[in-house]
Amino acid sequence: MSEIITTEGVPLKVSLKRAERINKIRALVLVLPLTLFIIITFVIPIIAMLTRSIDDKQINTVLPKTFEIYKQWDRKQLPSEEMYATIFNEIMTADKRAIGKASTRMNYSKSGWKSLIKKSKRKFKKIKEGPYKEKMIAIDKKWGKIEYWKAIGEMVDPYTFGYFLNAVDLKYDSNKKIVQQPEKRRIYNYTWYKTLKISVLVTLFCLILGYPISYLLATLPLKYSNLLMIFVLLPFWTSLLVRTVSWIIILMRKGVFNSILVWAGIIADENRMQLIYNETGTLIAMTQILLPFMVLPLYSVMKTIPPSYMRAALNLGAHPMHAFYRIYMPQTVPGISAGGLLVFVLAIGYFITPELVGGADGQLIGHWIAYHLKSTLNWGLCAALGTILLVVMLTLYWAYNKIVGIENIKLG
Amino acid sequence: MIKSIKVVLLTLVSMAFVATAYADFTFVSWGGAYTMSQQKGYIDTWGPVKNGSTKVSVENYNGGLGEVKAQVEAGNVTWDVVDVLPVDVINGCDEGLLEEIDTSGWQKSPDGTSFNDSIVENGTGASGPISECAVPQIFWTYVIIFDPKNFSGKKPTTMKDFFDVKKFPGKRGVHTWPQAVLEMALVADGVEPTKVNSVLQGDGGTDRAFAKLEDLKGHVVHWSAGAQPLELVSSGEVVMSIVYNGRAGAAILSEGASLDYVWEGQVLDADWVGIPKGSKNKAEAIEFLKHATTCASQAEQAKYITYMPMRQCGTDIIAKNEPWFHTGIDVLPHMPDTEERLKKSVFTDPVWWADHNAELKEQWSAWMAGNK
Repeated sequence: MSEIITTEGVPLKVSLKRAERINKIRALVLVLPLTLFIIITFVIPIIAMLTRSIDDKQINTVLPKTFEIYKQWDRKQLPSEEMYATIFNEIMTADKRAIGKASTRMNYSKSGWKSLIKKSKRKFKKIKEGPYKEKMIAIDKKWGKIEYWKAIGEMVDPYTFGYFLNAVDLKYDSNKKIVQQPEKRRIYNYTWYKTLKISVLVTLFCLILGYPISYLLATLPLKYSNLLMIFVLLPFWTSLLVRTVSWIIILMRKGVFNSILVWAGIIADENRMQLIYNETGTLIAMTQILLPFMVLPLYSVMKTIPPSYMRAALNLGAHPMHAFYRIYMPQTVPGISAGGLLVFVLAIGYFITPELVGGADGQLIGHWIAYHLKSTLNWGLCAALGTILLVVMLTLYWAYNKIVGIENIKLG
Repeated sequence: MIKSIKVVLLTLVSMAFVATAYADFTFVSWGGAYTMSQQKGYIDTWGPVKNGSTKVSVENYNGGLGEVKAQVEAGNVTWDVVDVLPVDVINGCDEGLLEEIDTSGWQKSPDGTSFNDSIVENGTGASGPISECAVPQIFWTYVIIFDPKNFSGKKPTTMKDFFDVKKFPGKRGVHTWPQAVLEMALVADGVEPTKVNSVLQGDGGTDRAFAKLEDLKGHVVHWSAGAQPLELVSSGEVVMSIVYNGRAGAAILSEGASLDYVWEGQVLDADWVGIPKGSKNKAEAIEFLKHATTCASQAEQAKYITYMPMRQCGTDIIAKNEPWFHTGIDVLPHMPDTEERLKKSVFTDPVWWADHNAELKEQWSAWMAGNK
């Protein structure tokens, strides 16, 4: 088989490839600024944040010698004089800011370390020479409590899964074995469960409520559907807080809804229902707030379905229910997927609305991320919670792609 | 042509110069009536602001040090003064997020008391700033309020009443974090308010507080935003609620709300101000804070909000000049710090809370989840 040669004497294949490559480079150059922008402002910060979830280097640079001796300690009785002397020297010689950060880190594994280090550092100046053990215990009896020493065992390595363990109610013991948190502190698994449950339910309710609305929007004559569209969009454009507070006014025990029921004689005055400051309130408010994110993609898909398909099915003798189920619904799957994904992703990270209307039930995982980000400054735990959230989301996306196929999604 | 370009360039350069000389100096606080009291109490009255040589731009935030930490770590600090809770000022100082400020030589009280000694109390039983980074602001308090119209017979007067759902049936409004709730539980359990901290911090102290909280099981509506408890009480959703006293004071003094306090067992907390590490206007910020913490400024702020000056000399000015509130009403009856009230109050200990914050928050949330 002879090769086709161009006029320059180069095989056509090579020549074509070259031309294509130039085009590719040109295209790449065009998207380069955007790519760089995304990498610098989005990808790098996210990766930098996520690496905090396993990073335990800082404490290891402050107390390296203590940790060396720690590895030989039997964890059964109080450490030797050598360990006391070492930690004494490392606390006294460390930079003030470094020791501050280190004590904060130590406090994550055992409450009390923070003020112990700070108070001790001030009083340690009085100790001129050893033996240190008794003198340190005399300054603060916490130095003589083995729990404090055991708690730093989880920090001896520069990398840790401790934050991830913390995010699922587990922790390391002093030998770096994984154990459960004490029962009264277990809250994260429950929060994960609650967050997922509420997200799934809200997505489901949005679908049930949004599907008929979208159908009406897509099929009604323009003058009615426009009006209906305004009803959908008006709340969408209203401030999130206004809508949340409106729900409080409507649903509270002496609020609009309960009062109407009492007035109509459906319930007795003393039996007013608790519809807000609990899970019910969270579900109602979140469903209403996220509904447009379901309606809009569904509408855009339904708008493109020719009515003739349904008519043809009916004409051929299909029962309306059957025709709907076999002909209409399959064509709306891209809209259902897009809406479902949007609502779910938004719901799983929600925190202002649940916090205001949820009462004791209002703390979803977003609440804990915000709390540790702002109050405890435990960004390692934040990063671990965030990573888990990201992985949950990507897993769902992957499962979705396997089951439905990602090409079956239409966002508008 | 070239000349005109030069002119334009010169103008631009001089504008940039002017812009830096009069750089916006950023003051960050919680917003609402509180920020307004700071604005009128000592921002507007500061010399350089009055004569127009400096502008103080005020920003709002939701508390915590997340933003400060992000700014400091990114090396781009845009906040110059930030109003923070005691626990945050301690954490921020430890982590090197706030500048250390030596306030010892600042304005003395008229009676000669040094600046640091004029700070009534910092929560640990001592006077003076709670941390090397803290500049005094105000005391505020977690206090119980109720609507007297909802009580035909006896009205609640003690913390025990708040925890007694048989004597006073109805729901209670409680916030969604553990600070102050645990202290209140111990008061209700019979601990002398002045001994609450030592009991809470001793062996089994928190367990005792949580055990007492069982009395409220099933009778709590949890709130998370400062305006909610007032709404909860006035709508009858709850019969009593824990509230920030400034919110209640504003509702009563400015809007004539029908509310009454239970002062016994109130839990005092504070707000301090700090300067984020690496602030570009640190020198100006310090000058500003010197003005903001004078006896006069401390008192002036209380014209607009019922939070109490941290310095005794501020309170003295108010006491001598009642009615002090800007609407012409006596303000001290709404303040947490009359001598009699202080005897039955708890100062929340920020050093201990900085240690136990996360652990107790987790435990408290687990309690909330199990006690709906």
